[in-house]
Parts: sequence; C-alpha cells; structure tokens
Amino acid sequence: MLAGLALVLLISGCGQSQGGQSTLHAESDQSRKIMHLWWGMLAAAVVVFAGAIVLLAIAWKRRNREGLPAVGKDENVSTGLVVAFGIVVPVVCLITLFFIADIGVVNATSAPKPGQAQMKMTVVGHQWFWEVRYDGSQAVTANELHIPARTSVNVRLLSADVIHSFWVPELNKKVDMLPGHPNNIELYADRPGVYRGQCAEFCGLQHANMAMAVYVDTPARFRAWLANQARPLAPPAAGDARAGENVFMTQQCASCHTIRGTAARGTIGPDLTHLATRKTLAALTIPNDRANLTRWVADPQSIKPGNKMPGLNLNATQLRQVVSFLEGLR
Amino acid sequence: MSGLNVERKRISMPAGWWGTLLFVATEATLFGTLFATYFYLRFNTPQWPPAGVPEPKVALPLILTGVLVATTIPVFFGARAALAGRARLAWLLFFVALVIQAGYFGVQVHEFLGDLDKFSPHDSAYASIYFTLLGAHHAHVVVGMAIEVWLLAKLLGGLTPYRLVGVRVAALYWYFVNAVAIGVVLTQVYPAL
Amino acid sequence: MATVIHPEARRRVQRLERIWLDRPGVLGWLTTTDHKKIGILYLFTSLVFFGAGGVEALLVRTQLLTPNGTTLSPGAFSEVMTMHGVTMIFLFVIPISTGAFGNYLVPLMIGARDMAFPRMNAFSFWVFAASGIFMYVGLATGNGPNAGWFDYVPLASRTYNPGSAIDFYALGLIFNAISSTAAAINFIVTIFKMRAPGMALNRMPLFCYAFLAVSFALVFALPALSIDCVFLELDRRLGFSFFEPANGGTVLLWQHLFWIFGHPEVYIIILPAFGIATSIIPTFTRRRMVAFPMVALAEVLVAFIGFGVWAHHMFAVGMSTITTVYFAAASMIVVIPSAIQIFAWLTTLVTGTPIFKTPLLWIIGFIVFFIIGGLSGIMFAAIPFDQQLTDTYFVVAHFHFIIFGAAVFPLLGGLYYWFPKVTGRMYSEPVGQASFWLTFVGSALTFFPMHIVGLLGMPRRVYTYQSGLGWDGYNMAETIGAYILAGGLMLLVANLVVSYFRGPKAPDDPFGGATLEWSIPSPPPHYNFAVIPRVTTPYPMWDEQDRIEDMRKLERGEMVLDGGHETPATSVLDANWDEVIDMPSDSPWPIVTALMMSGVFAMLLTGHLVAMCVFLGLMALAVAAWHGAEPEHEAAT
Repeated sequence: MLAGLALVLLISGCGQSQGGQSTLHAESDQSRKIMHLWWGMLAAAVVVFAGAIVLLAIAWKRRNREGLPAVGKDENVSTGLVVAFGIVVPVVCLITLFFIADIGVVNATSAPKPGQAQMKMTVVGHQWFWEVRYDGSQAVTANELHIPARTSVNVRLLSADVIHSFWVPELNKKVDMLPGHPNNIELYADRPGVYRGQCAEFCGLQHANMAMAVYVDTPARFRAWLANQARPLAPPAAGDARAGENVFMTQQCASCHTIRGTAARGTIGPDLTHLATRKTLAALTIPNDRANLTRWVADPQSIKPGNKMPGLNLNATQLRQVVSFLEGLR
Repeated sequence: MSGLNVERKRISMPAGWWGTLLFVATEATLFGTLFATYFYLRFNTPQWPPAGVPEPKVALPLILTGVLVATTIPVFFGARAALAGRARLAWLLFFVALVIQAGYFGVQVHEFLGDLDKFSPHDSAYASIYFTLLGAHHAHVVVGMAIEVWLLAKLLGGLTPYRLVGVRVAALYWYFVNAVAIGVVLTQVYPAL
Repeated sequence: MATVIHPEARRRVQRLERIWLDRPGVLGWLTTTDHKKIGILYLFTSLVFFGAGGVEALLVRTQLLTPNGTTLSPGAFSEVMTMHGVTMIFLFVIPISTGAFGNYLVPLMIGARDMAFPRMNAFSFWVFAASGIFMYVGLATGNGPNAGWFDYVPLASRTYNPGSAIDFYALGLIFNAISSTAAAINFIVTIFKMRAPGMALNRMPLFCYAFLAVSFALVFALPALSIDCVFLELDRRLGFSFFEPANGGTVLLWQHLFWIFGHPEVYIIILPAFGIATSIIPTFTRRRMVAFPMVALAEVLVAFIGFGVWAHHMFAVGMSTITTVYFAAASMIVVIPSAIQIFAWLTTLVTGTPIFKTPLLWIIGFIVFFIIGGLSGIMFAAIPFDQQLTDTYFVVAHFHFIIFGAAVFPLLGGLYYWFPKVTGRMYSEPVGQASFWLTFVGSALTFFPMHIVGLLGMPRRVYTYQSGLGWDGYNMAETIGAYILAGGLMLLVANLVVSYFRGPKAPDDPFGGATLEWSIPSPPPHYNFAVIPRVTTPYPMWDEQDRIEDMRKLERGEMVLDGGHETPATSVLDANWDEVIDMPSDSPWPIVTALMMSGVFAMLLTGHLVAMCVFLGLMALAVAAWHGAEPEHEAAT
C-alpha cells in the first residue's frame, strides 16, 4: 500500500500542468521548504510504520511461542523495549522534527516583516469572491491577481464578512482572513506562470466555488497590466455596448457593482471595470467568453446557486446589449 | 441491616458528597472560562471599560460579597449540627443563611437592573461579559437558595442518613458559590482598582 | 459461578433475584435504573445515530463521486456535512463508548452491583436521547445546523445565519453536555467509591483507568463548549457582542473556547478505545499487559496533557510565532503517552501467544490505523506543514483514521467480544472475520486516498470540485470505499442480529478473560454478583484461588448483601470496606426530569420565555420528587 502511495505521489507530483493547486509542486522558496519537510516526514513515517508491521508479522509468525525472539520471556526486556521505543526514540525524533520544522522552516515561511517587501497589496475576502487592491494604485480587480516574478509581495488579508482563508499552495501556506483581525502573507514566485488558489475556510454555500488565479508576470508586463487596471473606463462608442451601459445602470447592476469612470458604485459584488481582461468568471467557476457570460447574467443562480447575484429578468435584447457592454470592459 | 460481619463507621466521604465535589469542579471550570474570557477580551481592547460605559462601583459590590461570604459561617455550623444529630439547630442555622442570602440576592438584582439601564451588552464586549459573568453567579445563588428551601422542607420531617448527605452537599455547594463570589466581585471591580 | 448447586447458595441467589427484579415491559425500560439496561438503551440509540451519521457520510461521498455532482444542493450539503460531524461525535461515539460500553461494563469490572447514582444514570440517557432528537428536529424541519461541526463565527452569527439552524446546534450541544457531564460524574464516583474490597487503584483493570481519565477530561472540557454556545446564543438572540469586532469582541474567542473543549474531546473519543484494546489484548494473547503501570499512567497523561494543545487547530489564524511554537511543542509532548501504549500493545502481542480471532482482528486493525493516523498527526505539529495542509483533505484523512480507524474499530471489536456476555449467545466467527476484512479494506480505500488528494490541494467542506486538478480518480475511489465500508458494517450488524436469535448458547467465559465480568453468568443477572468478590490483582479471573473463595463465601452467606438493594462502598485509594449503600430501584423521575428539561430547551429555541420558566419550575419539582424518594428510607420500611 505504501509503495503504491509513494509511486502515485511521485507521478502526480511531477509533470503537473500549470494552474494546478498541488502542495507538491513548489514554485517558491516557501512552498519548496514545506514540500521538502513533507518528504522528510513521510520517509520517517514509512520507517516507523514498516517497523510496526514487522512486529505484527513477528507476532503472527510466533503466535504459538511466548516471549521475544532470541531473548525469551524476560519481562524486564519487554518493559525496556517499551521505554526505548515508546519514550526514548520518539522523544529524539520529535525534538529533531521540532528544530527542523518549528524553528527552521517556520522562520523561512513566517509573515513578512514591515518594510521588508518590495510591493504591497490587499486582498479582501467576500462571500464568494476575492477583492484585489494594490497600494499606491487606483486599480481594483477581483479573483485574478497579478504579481511580478521574483518580487517580494506583502499581501494584507482582510475579510468583508465571514472567515475566509487565502491559499495558493504552489506559492505559500494558507493564512486565514478574519473580520477585525488583519493578517499578512508574503508571496514570492520564482518564475512567471499562473498558480491556482482556493478559499480554505468554510465560508458558506459557495465555499467550493471561491477559487483564485495568481498570474505571475515579468515586471514589465506587470506594470503594463497594473496601469491598465488602474484606468477608469472610457465610455463605449455606440451600438449594443452603449445601450448595454444604459441597461447596466438602470437594471440594478450598478447597485451592487462598481465600474470606475461611470456612475456605478456598488460594493456588494466585485469591481467590473476591466472584467474583459479576466479569463474566468465567478471566482474561476466558468470561463469568461460570450456564451458563459450570457449564461451568467441571464441566470447566475443556475451556475453558482446561493451566490448573492439574483436573476435579473432581462429580456433577450437587454441581455445581448449588456453582455456586449461587459465584453468591452478591457 | 444485612446481618454480616461488617463495620458501620465511615472511613470515606459519601458518594453524594463526591458527586457534588465533581459537579462543583465543572461549575468552577465554567467560571474559570468566564474569567478567562473577561481577561482575553480585556487584553484585546484598548479602552476598558469602553468609552461611554461607567466604571464599576467598588464599595457596594465588595460589601455585598462580604455579606454573602459571611453566610459560610451559619452554613458550616449548620452542617456540623446536623452531623451531630441536632436537627433543630441545623434547621435554624440554614434558615438564617437563607434569609441573608435572599437579602443579598435582592440587592444584587436591583444593582444588575440599574446597570442595564446605564450600559447595554448590545454595545460592547465589556458589557456582554460583565452581565454574563454576574448573571451566571446570581443564577448559582438562586440554585443554592432553592436547594436550601428544599432542605429546610425535608428537615421538618427529621434527619435521615440520606438527608444528612443532602445537608453536606448543600454546604459544599455554598462553600463553592461563596468562593467563586470572591473571584466574581474582584473581576467585576477590577477596572476601577 | 454459573451453576449454583449448594442449596444454601441457591436460596441466597433466588432471594437476590427477587430483590433486584425489574418492573416488566415498556414501563420497566422507561423507569429502569439498572446500569445494564441503561447500557443497552444507550447502545441501540447510539447505533441509530451511527446509521444516521453513516447515511450522511454516504450522501457526502456520493455527491463527491464525480465533479459537479447533483446529489446534494449546496445548502443541503452544508447541513449534511455538519450533521455528519455533530452526529458521529456527540450522538454516536461518545454515547456508545461511555454510555453503552462504560455503563454496562465498569460496574461489572469493579465488582459492583450498579453505578454510584443509578437514577442519574437513567437521566443521562434520556437527556442524551432528547438532545439528539432535538437536533434532528432541526434537520427535519429544514433548519439543520449548517456551519460545520465547529461552527465558526461570523458564519454562525445571526447576520450570516438567520433562521434557527445554529440555535438548534448551540442549544442542542448545551443539552447534550448535561448528559455527558452527569455521566462523567457518575463514572468517577463509581470508580472511586464502589470498587470491590481489595481492588486498590493499582489493581484496577486498565479499562477502568481509561474511563476514569475520560470522565475527568469530560468534567473539565465540556464547560468551555457550553459557555461558548451560551455566548453564541446571547449574541444571536439577545444581540450581545462577544464575537462582534466592531464592539470590542473577537471571532477568535469562539475558536479558542471551542478548541479548549475540542482537543480534549478527541482524547475523550479515543480513550475508551484504548480501554477496550487493553481488555481484549491480554485475553487474546493469554498474558498480562506489558508495562501495566506505564500503560495506566499513559492513559491518564493523554487526557491531562491534551488540555494544553488546543491552539494547534488554529495555526493558520495569525497568532504570534511564540504562541504557535508553544502549542506545537506541547502537541509533540502529547505523542509520548500514545507511543508508550502502542509499543506496550505490540510487545504484548509479540511476547504472548495471540489468537487471531475476530475481536483481536479489530484491535490489530485499530493499531494499524492508529499508527497511520498518529503519524499524520505528528506531521501537523510541524507548523509550516500544518499551515499548508490544514483545512484540506489531508486533515480529513488524519482524523478519520483516528476517529474511525482508531476509536471505532475497538468499539466494533468490543461489540463482538462482549456479545456473548450480554446476550448469552455466540456470534459466527467466520462472518465476524469477513465483516472485519470488509470494513478494514473499505476504510483503507475510503480514507487513505484523502491524504493524496489533500496534498494535491483539495480543500475540505467543498460540495463539489472542478475536473482537471487531479482529484477525480481519488474521489471516486473514496466513494467506492465508503460503500464497501458500509457493507462491512451491515455484515457486522447482520451477524450480531442473527446470532442473537439463532446463535449457539455461550458459556460464562468463552475467551478466558481476565476481568470480573467473565465470572458471572451470560447474560448477567440483575444483581450482577451473588457474592461481592475479593480482588488482589488487576486480572481477577486469572486468580483462581480468589474465585474459589468467593464460591465458598456464597455457601457460607458472607458478602452476599441480600438485605435489600445493597452494594458496598469502599475507600477511594485502597478500596477498604466502608459501608453498605441502599440502591434505588425503578424510578419515573429521571425520564420525567429529562422531559421537562426538553421543554426548557424547546422553549429557549422558540423564544417563549414564560413557557420556559414553567418548564423550569416543573423540572425543579421533578428533581425534588426524585430526591424525595430516599432508597434507605424505603428499604427500612
């Protein structure tokens, strides 16, 4: 069973495609240290377990003979074995583990000290999406955050409602987001790529569909992305998109969503100013293309039941127009 | 009773007393949790009590608690009298204790309601734990008085070994309530000290 | 002492049978104070809840068989997932281990005729049953608790959880805690005061040590949960601000208090299993336990140290480094007593001559699962590892290996082991072995892949998952495993039910057990022991001289205590004879009090405070009537 486990883990650990969520696929120093800690502990655990199985096998084979092999029926030896393997050996192993993990690796993965990071940002957990803001920028986005590669990013973690947990396994451990109790986590990605994260504290009906994507860009691409995200919306030219903006403002959308550069200033749902730059909708639940966007706007409850966006009862024309408008939010 | 060659002298406290001791242990842990909550919240809050909440009175609570703790004396001697078989004296002493405790309780209820008029548990964690801690203590006082009422009623019918255990149990319970009362009042007046 | 042939002895036994006779029929069951009948009541009630929790588990697993399952809606999933945890912990594993096994066996193992407080024993049962019904009324009326079994605020607060689901949870748990507290007090006083003369504390069976430790842990752990639930109800119903950051409260208060209870709770769950294992192993290896004093001390230490480790459930909330490191260190220390026990069991198995029959197979399965679950638990004491893998399926694997593999397997083995004693019939050994293997394989298949899927990033408490993350195959395997596991359990139930009606008659001592329950007939008579036994070692049944001497005492009329409903009380440490106690017989007051208490909690739920006060008053009257019935007084008249 254990050999199978090791094999399976090795196979699944390697060759994981981008955008996975595996703790065994480390893309940062912190995750790597934790992963190595895991492999070390697994090795020790396999040894201990194997030892116990050997003892059980001996018990089976020698079931008609009393006493220990070679030693015989000396109770003192038996008691001595209990002291040795029940106290001494565990104490030694635990002390070793304590120093490696709870002194050593803890230091490497601890929360960033103030002033140490090269960049600061804030993520606010909501039921059931992530609000993303950047210090020193007007940019506000949701669910898909970008950071530059090889940069120490200090992420401030807040909550707008219940307890959530920020977790991007390939980059770092998880840290809870508690109302009234701000926390911090450091993100430092070795190389560009996209890394998946998911809320890791049960937060209600759609906890299962509260994922996020961390896009790690080259510094130049990151600056370009951030600059674009910070721009307020330019008004759409004409046609369906223009009509769609009108639908947006008059059909309740603006009461929940913000689109910077317009009159829409709602804060219940995510900021939509640059919605069309995102690859997914509803916290990575569905891809962001016309068909899915139309499905979502028409009946959000059928895709993410229990989420806070109601069905809007738009007619076919309004639907087409508002989707065209949303598609233009680049 | 069973015609066996066994002794009748007791060498160990009765089962009912042990049971009460353990019950007291749970209730003491309950109060320990309340105290811990009080100080956990206190150290989580910059201003204690928070703005708009008056500091607690010191003199009256301390005096009242002194009166309550003093009822340990009639309770202790009442139990002693019962153990010596003097049912009437035991009854009288427990009655005196009950009257004083009832007076204490009456004043405390008045204070509690007065406090509620001045600050509300809706508005602060301080008030939430303040009223819960005091309420828990007063509830224990009520239960203690109820036990005494029942005991006094039973003792009118005389002493039996079973009722004697009841007297010891009631006494033990009151020692506990009075001891906890000291902790409660010190916590209550702590911000004003 | 099965066949009593001496005429004097037979006369005394018949007199005892007349004295201890129960009221017949349903009324007898409703008013019983006999620890054995109460144990049976607990057994069947907790097995019903096991079934409910099992159905909930199968619903969860079926929903997670494939991505985007449609068995359960997100709302239904939240309730089913929550109730699975609450049911299994509060309504199954604690009641069956303390209420069924503990109640039935502890008095027998210490040579007593009942628990110290027989009426409170009955009261504990009826309150347990009522608390379970109370919470399931919530589920049945669409108000099932839905914020997880640890019910974190603010998700459980009125703002994010209007409606009464969480009120069912909080009030239900306070209600349930009353039952467990009363039972724990009963066990401690029974073990302290009612041991047979000569059974000093160091001659007490290890099973009783485990139950003593469990009971102390319950006494000191439950108040934290009860107070937490009181705070929650005050916040929810009366607008208090314990958990409201805007008013100086904090959400972490809930977590600390919950886990101050919650961690000792897991030792409370496992200790009875240790007790059962330390009963079965000596019997089936035909030797005394290796390092008995160390094992006894370890059982007590586990409970004690377990109070100092709670915040290891909170490593991800952002506590200071020094706090997390303290709790990690304490969590490592608590490993040692368990390691001592595991090694003592293994050494006993190696140095003895083990008989690999059904009860021992379950214990071997327990050892295997306990080691795996214990090892993954140690890994969680490595803080950074915990911070990656907490709240994932890796921790779900860990605690199911411990709770199911290590706490439940000995219970199932214990059902087989004591089945002949309780029913007087033997179960089918081949079917017993088959039920073990099916359950073992099913458990391994269900819970082992959870380690892997957790490492691959699957969080816990999710009602669905996306394809393409590498989780699909493992989830499917786990669901198949769950159905196999269920099959194994149904085979076990079938074995015991059929054997109850058609199994061959069992002797008093089919396995050569070491403790006193094997010295009395199967099933035991109402009065348990015709002669209060004299005890000189922790393995009384293997001291043949003592048992022969007991027989002679019966003939001479010594230590029979047949003047009434009598049992001796002894001193706490050395079990020196102290006095004869008159036990109560059947009483209606425990169930009446429990019913009135149910009314109190129901009115608290609905908010009808006047009605609540009425029920409270009626409850007080019932308690007064209860204590108005004085057993000694009745015996004398």
